[in-house]
Amino acid sequence: MNEPTNDISAQFYATQLGVYDEMVAQDHKVLPHWERFMDTIASLGSEQLELRRREAQRLLRENGVTYNVYGDAQKLIRPWKLDPVPLLIDSDEWSFIEAGLKQRAELLDLILKDIYGKQQLLKKGLLPTELVLGHDGFLHPCVGALPDLKHQLIVYSANLARGPNGRMWVLDDRSQAPSGVGYALENRTVMTRVVPDIFQDMQVHRLSGFFKGLRKALADIAPHNKEDPRIVILTPGSLNETYFEHAYLSSYLGFSLVQGDDLTVRDGRVWLKSLDGLQPVDVILRRVDDSFCDPLALRSASLLGVAGLLEAVRRNNVAIANPLGSSVLENPGLLAFLPRLSRYFLNQELQLPSVATWWCGQRRERDFVLQNLDQLLIKPINRAPGNHALFGGLLSAKEKELLRAAIIAKPHAYVGQEYMSFSTVPAFIDHRIEPRFSVLRGFAVAGGDGYQVMPGGLTRVASRQDDFIVSNQAGGISKDTWVLADKPDQQVNWWTQSSRDVILAAVTEPLTSRAANNLFWVGRYLERIKAATRLMRTILFKLTENREFNDPLDGQCLNELLCAITQVTGTYPGFIQNNASVLKEPQDELLALAKNSRRAGTLATTIQTFAQTAFSIRDVWSQDTWRCVDNIQRRWKQRVVDSDCDLEQLQKHLDDLVTGFVAFIGLTTESMTRETGWLMLDSGRRLEHALTLVALLRATVVQRHETDLQNQLLEAILEATDSLSIYRRRYRSFIKLPMVLELLLLDETHPRSLAYQLHQLSSHINALPRDRGNGQLSEEERLILRAYTDLRLVKVSELVKVDEDAVVYSELESILSAMTERLWRLYEVLAQAYFSHSQMPQLMTPTQPEDEL
Amino acid sequence: MKYRITHSTLYQYSQLVGLCQNEARLQPRDFWRQQCQSSRFDISPEPDDFQERRDFFGNRVAYFAIQQAHQRLMVTAVSEVTVFPKQNADDLANSLTWEQARSKLQEPPVQNQDQRQDFSDELLEAKLYLLDSPLVTAGSELADYAQRSFLPNRPLVQVVADLMQRIHVDFTYDPSFTTIATPLAEVLQFRRGVCQDFAHLAIGCLRSFGIAARYVSGYVETQPLPGKQRLVGADASHAWFAVYVPGNGWLDFDPTNNNLPFDQHITLAWGRDYTDVTPLKGIAFGGGQHTLSVSVDVLRLE
Repeated sequence: MNEPTNDISAQFYATQLGVYDEMVAQDHKVLPHWERFMDTIASLGSEQLELRRREAQRLLRENGVTYNVYGDAQKLIRPWKLDPVPLLIDSDEWSFIEAGLKQRAELLDLILKDIYGKQQLLKKGLLPTELVLGHDGFLHPCVGALPDLKHQLIVYSANLARGPNGRMWVLDDRSQAPSGVGYALENRTVMTRVVPDIFQDMQVHRLSGFFKGLRKALADIAPHNKEDPRIVILTPGSLNETYFEHAYLSSYLGFSLVQGDDLTVRDGRVWLKSLDGLQPVDVILRRVDDSFCDPLALRSASLLGVAGLLEAVRRNNVAIANPLGSSVLENPGLLAFLPRLSRYFLNQELQLPSVATWWCGQRRERDFVLQNLDQLLIKPINRAPGNHALFGGLLSAKEKELLRAAIIAKPHAYVGQEYMSFSTVPAFIDHRIEPRFSVLRGFAVAGGDGYQVMPGGLTRVASRQDDFIVSNQAGGISKDTWVLADKPDQQVNWWTQSSRDVILAAVTEPLTSRAANNLFWVGRYLERIKAATRLMRTILFKLTENREFNDPLDGQCLNELLCAITQVTGTYPGFIQNNASVLKEPQDELLALAKNSRRAGTLATTIQTFAQTAFSIRDVWSQDTWRCVDNIQRRWKQRVVDSDCDLEQLQKHLDDLVTGFVAFIGLTTESMTRETGWLMLDSGRRLEHALTLVALLRATVVQRHETDLQNQLLEAILEATDSLSIYRRRYRSFIKLPMVLELLLLDETHPRSLAYQLHQLSSHINALPRDRGNGQLSEEERLILRAYTDLRLVKVSELVKVDEDAVVYSELESILSAMTERLWRLYEVLAQAYFSHSQMPQLMTPTQPEDEL
Repeated sequence: MKYRITHSTLYQYSQLVGLCQNEARLQPRDFWRQQCQSSRFDISPEPDDFQERRDFFGNRVAYFAIQQAHQRLMVTAVSEVTVFPKQNADDLANSLTWEQARSKLQEPPVQNQDQRQDFSDELLEAKLYLLDSPLVTAGSELADYAQRSFLPNRPLVQVVADLMQRIHVDFTYDPSFTTIATPLAEVLQFRRGVCQDFAHLAIGCLRSFGIAARYVSGYVETQPLPGKQRLVGADASHAWFAVYVPGNGWLDFDPTNNNLPFDQHITLAWGRDYTDVTPLKGIAFGGGQHTLSVSVDVLRLE
């Protein structure tokens, strides 16, 4: 046992001169609540705290918070980092921040209502027209379209920082589709697991009440079905940087996660396209930027939106949080006008001031900005690619001239902001506690009488000590935010109590066609990985045997198998080329089959696609299942793709991979309810299993071989299909083609056989939702019935009956090739019936200017 | 002058369209220079959903959706409009200089009778047309071109008339050159375009000098060549621009024809640029390849 060390206690904490620090405040004395906390971690010691930090990282990674995006390794993977030292805020301080956030949310809500309603602010000159109408967030089609609700701004968030004088300032307001609540919740969940003892002692306010408020706020704005509205989360998809949060919130709140093409507008209502038909949607929690939400009324090139959505809003058939057009508030120029508007609307002074901002649309302010360019942060009012905030002091003379000219040309499009230094907060970095600049993101949600503020938030600190820029892009570190209570919080009952004593019908969220399609493909990729893994394992085994005994028969058999793996994985030319050296020295190609993630059909590629597809429906997996997916892909990448592993090590990793997907299959089989989603996943598996099995047989035994070679091959096939032990039990030591075919093709009791796959597929297909009005079989039912019947009518003795001099078993080949074709056709028909939810939309505006005279 | 306008658009698809949603700005709006007596749509297949409203600019918009499979969509709007001949000579005599007009648009709100500070609705509306819009971004290139027309203390209307005339002379009408997506900079560089480009160009020039200008979509009556029969459906959509003259209102200019719209220009709608007033736009799901044909007929009734 190590003695706890005091190396991280508060006395070693060195703050920076002239900077306000959260722990020592103005008097340079550790605040009492920090003292309590620091004592606790000091008694843990840095070693122990580091272990807890690592545990937190592990949990975050396994929960998928690390991997925001798969695929693009350089640009997009941005690990989510969590510091085990939270930001502490005591209850007095917090009530001040809370009141300030509430006031700001109220004020912004009133401004939003006015801009899209009567526009009194513009008429009275309280807001300049060019500031509002010249902002990209002002969507004129939304004027007059917002429903009459108590609050329009449903979710609000603000970035806060403390200045050198100890006062909290608002850096910016978020109204478009504020992100971060999910990350805040995930941080909290992890913290309560890694430092439960400290969390317990400190009496921290709970977050669940806020989420209950969020759910209620969304239900309250539903124009229809107020009792039990259907609420969906609209996401741009899995490539979005905060996709983790979309999926996380959808699972946590129990809302369907949808993309634009999962929805359709008909009869002025929004519908969810599901396998059970169109389902009405009442409320949309929007994570797609508003201008992208309706290609008809707004930005026409957008593929992320739903055509006609604004029309449904106009008719008050759907509510959107935040409403379309709300990004008009994300305008730094507004900050300069908020104090005046607060007096106008609320007759109050702003409790939380904004960072000092000069809007260049006014002459005096513009002159000030131009004269003080070096001291200011210059921001364009519109956020656009290549249109960034610039620190005047960091620009070259030439850049400064350009900026000056740009401001003079369009002064209303720029603001100058005070360049504020933030307060520091203790952070645990490299086994030490040191001060880092920090920003707190707070959240509020509209409630009955006002706004409800999350007692906590997302704190982020700079990644380097001297770094002022705090952002996720720059690799910042996040912190949990602990708002300390005077007394312990009551546990919030997460379940809503129905006012009447009724039994509600159990509802399953309908499965969207997109999710169905992805589930189906997750199943297919999984079987593809399985088939390739097992075959490769068999080959590697043969390869060692071959080296050991040097028997020419082994060599022949190996060559057959190598060609087979090229065929089964579709990685041509691979081993099938007029170049004997590839077969003689198969190592490179075998390693490429495992490692090369730029070539279709390799294990690396298929595993990556499998994980990506699973990630795009992250919301359907349980935490444990997701961990499995993550393990499969991460380990393969670390151990095989990114490492110098040789064939011997590869064999071990293949064994692990088998364990990995067996766990995935086990978990999904155990935990998924036997509904449409499961049917899709398992149908995908069965179809692919059947296809790869047929491909393997066609690649190996259709051709006639010498008896000895054939026997060797048959043994390898049994091995590669995980059927060897069952064969031995059934047929003892006799190995014969008809018996192998009997087992692999026809034995319905054998879970690896073709008959078993078709049987399962057939019962799944029969169970899929469809209109059974006319009593006739659907096309897919007809196809699977035919495939299954054809198989059952097969007589193995006929399959292997050939003339002495024949080179192939032609009857076997014709049965197998017909099967392949039928299964492919089956996929097409299934896709047509269940996945073709989206005919591609096209724009019908003339692209040629109209002729005239 | 009274006209009947028939504007038909036919879409034909190579594959079935399962759903399409559309917005049509094909019904002429009323204002001081014209009144629309009647305007009706004939849409085939018949829409499952049809709703009319006014947009932000006060134009008439019809939203309609066809929710049944179709391979052909025909949208016809038939409108009867009276255009009042109004003498434009008076307007052209307006002596407000462009500098005065510009500062009028920058002024803070005036005190009105209620002692409240309010902008007039007209002025507030005009301020919108000072700003950049999707297809028109004011900038130094446009300002450079326009500079010659903006002589110091020149009356605004004369500045605009001069600018219109210069565009007419300097630019070649060439339908093969541009598409909707051709940027203004290219039009300026190659000195070619069609009526929409010329309207956008003039608007951009004026906005670069702080003058409010808007885009007008509509039709112009055409006369058959002497001795020829009038051809039904041979007319076309047209576009021009209007400029805000403080104290006097909006004045129309047609740079393509180098004239001031009088009683032969029928206005459909106006906005900041073409994107605000596209006569017919839609989203179709499916359909494969599509072909589009438009026919317009402007018939003088009396």
